[in-house]
Amino acid sequence: MTKKMTPHISESGDNAAILHDMMREIDRLKNFSTRGLKALALFLVVSSAAWSKFPFLPPAETVTALLGPPPTARIISTVLLIYTFFAIALSIARLTSGIEHRSSFCHVAYLTAFYLFYYFGNTLEDNFLAVCGAGITILGTESYRIWNYCATGISEKREAAEYVNRVGRHPPEA
Amino acid sequence: MFTTLVGKALIPVGLAVTGFMVVCCLVLYSAIRDDLNRGEIVHATNLADTVLKSTRYAMHKSDRDMLSTIISNVGAQNGVDHVRIFNKKGTISFSAINDEINRQVDKKSEGCIGCHKEALPVTTLGNMQKARTFKNSHGLDVIAITAPIYNEPDCSTAACHVHPPEQKVLGTLDIGLSRAERNRSLSMLRIQMAVFTGMCLILTLTGIGSLLRKNVFLPLQKLRDYVEAPPVIHGTPQPPPHLPHDLDLIAARYYGAITHGNDKKNDTTHL
Repeated sequence: MTKKMTPHISESGDNAAILHDMMREIDRLKNFSTRGLKALALFLVVSSAAWSKFPFLPPAETVTALLGPPPTARIISTVLLIYTFFAIALSIARLTSGIEHRSSFCHVAYLTAFYLFYYFGNTLEDNFLAVCGAGITILGTESYRIWNYCATGISEKREAAEYVNRVGRHPPEA
Repeated sequence: MFTTLVGKALIPVGLAVTGFMVVCCLVLYSAIRDDLNRGEIVHATNLADTVLKSTRYAMHKSDRDMLSTIISNVGAQNGVDHVRIFNKKGTISFSAINDEINRQVDKKSEGCIGCHKEALPVTTLGNMQKARTFKNSHGLDVIAITAPIYNEPDCSTAACHVHPPEQKVLGTLDIGLSRAERNRSLSMLRIQMAVFTGMCLILTLTGIGSLLRKNVFLPLQKLRDYVEAPPVIHGTPQPPPHLPHDLDLIAARYYGAITHGNDKKNDTTHL
């Protein structure tokens, strides 16, 4: 349940400006908190297209005739495993260090590339679940990281706003 | 749940470990299945070559009875779905199923289209291209190999029915093998992987959860209970409970603050 903030406008104009900045930051964090979920939704749309074997793309043979054969499915799967491992490790590292990083949509691009490589190698059906599972894991972890960062930030800003209302100045830096 | 310490500790770990293990199992399963398919094709191709070599003498001697008996015996083997020999016109000359004999096949059908796509048929095919998979009339998975019977030099010079030397392919052997055993192996592999993944997950999550509970959450709860309890009972500050390292420092400082405050209060009362 979200707590509705009604800032108390103190006599000082500075306090009003500080509170206004804090409210803006809270709004920004609220918008940012859904970034991971939007990326996950986009990935699910791409996965639906992959499940239908990309009906809007030209046949794989046409593209491979032009560009040459893609890497073997085994190589693509190995790269997928390595990418998944490091993507999860990076996400957890960012979670523990509490940094803001807007990285969700680039993972959608990388995972789409994996789908396309499997598609052009005619092995998409066999490897669809692996890419889908990797995507849900990576984007799920990213969504949680972003949500957690924003929830912590919003909570801190609300406490700071209450402090400003009570004391009349900006709280000391932690 | 997401904002509690338990949630923050277990959710990212659970999600990351679960997801990564599932992806690893899916990739591994796919790789093993590809290897099994490849091995199956090699085995089936070797079997087709064996049948061809076994029937070579009978073909040389134009002994149709012997050839028919060999084909029937191979077709009666466990795991063999069908065995047939086509002549160069695409008519089934020999088959383990008598009803099929003298039947004409369509060159555009699967198994034939690989060589007969163009006007001039292809005379050599790689092992993987010779293989095709389908479901037979009983709904069972079958892998079939189409092996051409090449016109060897002693075939075109034999005394029986002479094949002209310019004819490269005399006919085709088509042998189908059941995939039941392979499907059973894959099914067992899926179950074993699922069980292994489940056990690893349970072990990881319960292990981490138990260690966190013992070393972090229970001591934190004790500290919290101590801080929330009345600090002074009957004029005596309550000593802190036994806590692990770091938390005992916090409790000790709190106790120090209560004691100092209590002493000051007592001094004021006496004055």
